Amino acid sequence: MVEKQSRWANVYLVIMFLILYSPIFYLIFYSFNAGQYMQNFSGFSLVHYGELFADDRMLQIVLNTFVVALLSSLLATIVGTFGALGIFSVRNSFLKNLLLSLNNILLVSPDVIIGASFLIFFTLLGLSLGFGSVLMSHIAFSIPIVVLMVLPKLNEMNSSLIDAAQDLGANSWQVLTRVILPYLTPGIAAGFFMAFTYSLDDFAVTFFVTGNGFSTLAVEIYSRARQGVSLEINALSAMMFLISLALVAGYFFINQHNTTRKSKKGRGRG
Amino acid sequence: MTQTIIEFKNVTKSYEETQVLTGVDLTIEAGKFYTLLGPSGSGKTTILRLIAGFSSATSGDIIFDGKRINDVPANKRRVNTVFQNYALFPNMNVFENVAFGMTLKGVNKAQIKEKVTTMLEMVQLAGYEDRSIDELSGGQQQRVAIARALANDPEVLLLDEPLSALDYKLRKDMQYELRELQQRLGITFIFVTHDQEEALAMSDWIFVMNEGKILQNGTPVDIYDEPINHFVANFIGESNIIDGVMREDYKVMFAGKEFENVDAGMRPNERVEVVLRPEDLDLTTPENGKLIVTIDAQSFRGDYYEISAHDDDNNEWRIQATNPSVLNSRQGLTFDPEDIHIMRFDESEDDFDARLENYEE
Amino acid sequence: MKNRLFYFIPYSLWLILFVGAPIVLMLGESFLSISHHFTLANYQDFLGSGTYLQMTFNSVWYAFLITLITLIVSFPTALFLSNLKYKQFWLLLIILPTWINLLLKTYAFIGLLSKDGSINHFIELLGFAPQQLLFTEASFVLVAAYIEIPFMILPIFNSINEIDRSLINASYDLGATKWQTFRRVILPLSADGIRAGIQAVFIPSLSLFMITRLIGGNRVITLGTAIEEHFLVTQNWGLGSTIGVVLIIAMIITMALTRERKKRGRK
Repeated sequence: MVEKQSRWANVYLVIMFLILYSPIFYLIFYSFNAGQYMQNFSGFSLVHYGELFADDRMLQIVLNTFVVALLSSLLATIVGTFGALGIFSVRNSFLKNLLLSLNNILLVSPDVIIGASFLIFFTLLGLSLGFGSVLMSHIAFSIPIVVLMVLPKLNEMNSSLIDAAQDLGANSWQVLTRVILPYLTPGIAAGFFMAFTYSLDDFAVTFFVTGNGFSTLAVEIYSRARQGVSLEINALSAMMFLISLALVAGYFFINQHNTTRKSKKGRGRG
Repeated sequence: MTQTIIEFKNVTKSYEETQVLTGVDLTIEAGKFYTLLGPSGSGKTTILRLIAGFSSATSGDIIFDGKRINDVPANKRRVNTVFQNYALFPNMNVFENVAFGMTLKGVNKAQIKEKVTTMLEMVQLAGYEDRSIDELSGGQQQRVAIARALANDPEVLLLDEPLSALDYKLRKDMQYELRELQQRLGITFIFVTHDQEEALAMSDWIFVMNEGKILQNGTPVDIYDEPINHFVANFIGESNIIDGVMREDYKVMFAGKEFENVDAGMRPNERVEVVLRPEDLDLTTPENGKLIVTIDAQSFRGDYYEISAHDDDNNEWRIQATNPSVLNSRQGLTFDPEDIHIMRFDESEDDFDARLENYEE
Repeated sequence: MKNRLFYFIPYSLWLILFVGAPIVLMLGESFLSISHHFTLANYQDFLGSGTYLQMTFNSVWYAFLITLITLIVSFPTALFLSNLKYKQFWLLLIILPTWINLLLKTYAFIGLLSKDGSINHFIELLGFAPQQLLFTEASFVLVAAYIEIPFMILPIFNSINEIDRSLINASYDLGATKWQTFRRVILPLSADGIRAGIQAVFIPSLSLFMITRLIGGNRVITLGTAIEEHFLVTQNWGLGSTIGVVLIIAMIITMALTRERKKRGRK
């Protein structure tokens, strides 16, 4: 089926990949520079990694970032899954579309708007800015993506599965815990995963709602980058790149797991 | 002695504007194989869902074992369902699916294991306990679904077009197996299908449905031989349906001639429809024929030839013959008086039964 | 389902507190003066001063340029990718850079574009004098486009990938050339992907503030930069919110223009 492509198409793709990846590898490459700047490579050295691991403030911030990501994605997954179940149970199509539109508002809103409006909201509530406000914001902007990952799973679920469970004597709670939630697990896992990466990736919203005492990685890199290049950040980005690779591999695995299940089922029917 | 297990009294069901069941009355006796037969949208699955408790009646009473069960939730009813798409839980293996109902009731492990083993043996899937649902073929999934429903010891088993997803050969096999299973277990089966052959082959009793009504119910032979109206005659088996006039008792006129028949109890000169089954018609020489027809087309069907012809009154005839005929030739058509079945327009099932009883006495 | 209410409690709390309330508050704030009295002054300031209107126009212009560049670069990429054998794997490689924190990628460009950086070395190699690259409009647009490319490729790829291969074969079969097939079949059928891509790139481009600061210096001011400035530097939340409302309106207009068209018999 696959048509043979002209050589120029492949050359074009190679150039695209080079453009996409060269800044990243450039960054990593200079993390091994013995010198102090992102130019004139003066010899291989791990000195910046040494600096990074000796930088208690930076390590604390890395820890903060992961704690926020883990907690926010966990809570967002719970709320989002219930939200998806709720939206799914709405039969009225107008109400359902309305809920879906409201759900997606935070997904399409620019980060600055989310950040600024949350800042107004927290200030009005008299909340002090810091870990709490950052955590709440991350939960808030992660919920809709969880809903979007869980809802298709619910829609593809055959409604007769629920009938079958009731038919065999299950009450509502048993239907939920024994049939629906296990069925949704891949979707919930994907939602959790996306929420986690959303949180790790966020800069703008955190920048608005974090106070002086609390910082995440992205905010810290921003304030350091404004002061100029420091190869410690290069070392950090190399580490982050590895983590991203691991996350992608994890996500790929979850997806793969889902699709093989599906394709097997297709074959079984044949 | 037979005992009534389920009864519908003037049950209706509507979804918003549309009425899907219009005043259904039916009686189900314990230990028989029932079929609800009708085209899609006739309301047959709705009846099944009302019995199972997945939806509730708009009005009327549903009675199970003498008690009104309209408000009893599905998980408290002593009926179980085999779903059209099987509805096996994909997150559980075969054993866990079959054991599901029992684990909810808190039956102890040893008992569950024993029962699952028995059930899987019964549906010829012994040794499949650890298989995941994805690994099973359609026919095997079907068997697991039956085992899962029966493992709950239901008094009534509901089957919602369970064979429709299987290929022809497998469907035939499963028809025999289900029939045999029902006779062995002695519990009531209520089977929903749109396939008239399936209904005729398996059932003790058939309800023919259309547009939210039960048009006729009876044994397969009754329904085949004595369809109450045009719809039933057309839906069950193939029919030649011709307009006619009932001259007097035992005398009917159609295709421009008068014939002797065995029906009675109608007004003199009442307009009726006449049914003649293709397999009851025989071709013969023009001299011996009750009617003369011209052969238009024929096709070989394996065990017979299907021939279409028209008479001099321009009525179409379908004939099933063991021997081929000659195209465009003129042939005689014969049938016996008992082969002629008369249908009145707009006769209800009750009137139909009453009339039959009157003149058969 | 009877559990419906129970499911909805946490979710509707979220809808009210974090979706409804903040937007309402921002709208309200835009009508408040610094001393918290109702005023239309913020809107008068915004609409009355040439600076803000100029800035809004610039912001839209930059976003337009960024979107255009991304689209021109991304469409062929998506098209060529969809013809590859292991396309899902290659697509994953395209998406992978989006998983790396935006800040890190932007930071890389500080090194690449600096006066003494690699790109200037390359320019010198070609025999030209080194240029001021960092803190120019061009560098801002290019870096922003770089960041947004995967978000444009993804929806276009998906829509091209969904096209039934037999449609393309049918087109050839009916005598169309490669170009005609592209023009009359592939391009119209991928229109929804292009719209989605434009939406995914244009709206964030309007509101970028981190890249403007790090790469554009203070030469580039977008709606996003202005909001950040008013909220976090000058503390004039009223005016900041007014610009926020303008940004929300711009977002709604963009979405209305790029929303998926109903599939009807198109000429």
